[in-house]
Amino acid sequence: MSAGPDVLFEIAWRFASLSLFAVGGINALLPEFHRVVVDVEHWMTSAEFADLFALAQLAPGPNAMVVSLLGWKVAGVTGAFVATIAACGPSSFVSYFAMRRFERMKNSRARAIIQRALAPIAIGLVLASGYTLARAADRSLVALALTVAATAAVAGTRVNPVWVLAAAAAVGLTGLA
Amino acid sequence: MIADGSDAAPSPSPVPRTRGALFTAFLKMGMLGFGGVLPWARRVLVEERRWLSEREFAELIGLCQVLPGPNVVNMAVILGARWQGVPGALLALTGILFIPVGGVLVLATFYASVAHSPVVTAAIAAASAAAAGLIIATAIRLLVGARLPPHGLVVGAVVFVLVALVHAPLLWVLAGAVPVAIVLEWHQSR
Repeated sequence: MSAGPDVLFEIAWRFASLSLFAVGGINALLPEFHRVVVDVEHWMTSAEFADLFALAQLAPGPNAMVVSLLGWKVAGVTGAFVATIAACGPSSFVSYFAMRRFERMKNSRARAIIQRALAPIAIGLVLASGYTLARAADRSLVALALTVAATAAVAGTRVNPVWVLAAAAAVGLTGLA
Repeated sequence: MIADGSDAAPSPSPVPRTRGALFTAFLKMGMLGFGGVLPWARRVLVEERRWLSEREFAELIGLCQVLPGPNVVNMAVILGARWQGVPGALLALTGILFIPVGGVLVLATFYASVAHSPVVTAAIAAASAAAAGLIIATAIRLLVGARLPPHGLVVGAVVFVLVALVHAPLLWVLAGAVPVAIVLEWHQSR
């Protein structure tokens, strides 16, 4: 794999310049990443991009790992870490300093109001991402039943979700889903 | 009902005492975070370690969503720094992001050979359906735990409809919902 300094530099500045626009997470920027790595730089095909995206969703870890895989495809392991640090570094710095300022705000009432105001927005967005994923994953009645059963098991009991996921995968292996 | 919902005096949450405890918690979230880390973050931080209340977690995720960058990565930076300073932020990032990245690279080298096996595809499709349920269940638990006031329920419902059903761009939804929610909350708290 060609991991020349030019390519690594190209990955670093391309991804770092997107980092601060990733409000709502990396997934919100996926169309932009696709445009840069497929259409502009021709680092991979659209199908390869889709495969890497699927793998990042499946593998344990943040879904943002898709940027690591894009870097890996272009420039191997070094590319993966350059891409990860470039995509997450600038936004992490902003979060760090924004939060330090926020937590030292003199007006604690204003701080409490902002925090309380953001909680329902967060819950609405989490529910929306669950719904969107369910719409994509539930291509059969059995799959829909698995989503409903997993929701009930995890919301209603203290069962470890690992077993819920493993049980669903086992149902998939039987060929029913 | 446990009396932990009062605004004036949130129950003092214990915090991770050592950097090792902080690191292992974030590593657990990262390594178990199949189909998304958020359900595991809630489970580990709220249920298992009890470092955050249900409501504190929802508020923190709200802040992470308006900041740029992946939400769970922001969460690791913020909590790591709050509890153990800059080294804590780096340890949390390593546990939740860099070690899983190492894992996904190992997977990626084998993925091409199994990606189109029908058996593997079927198992993954079924697990993905369950993973969606995991995220819905997390939203339900947050909703129950955060005990939102009526105007909060309306804000949450409108955000859900705009993002999930109308497919409005997230940036525009946040640009509209954040100021409205703050004004409503300010108005109610007078």
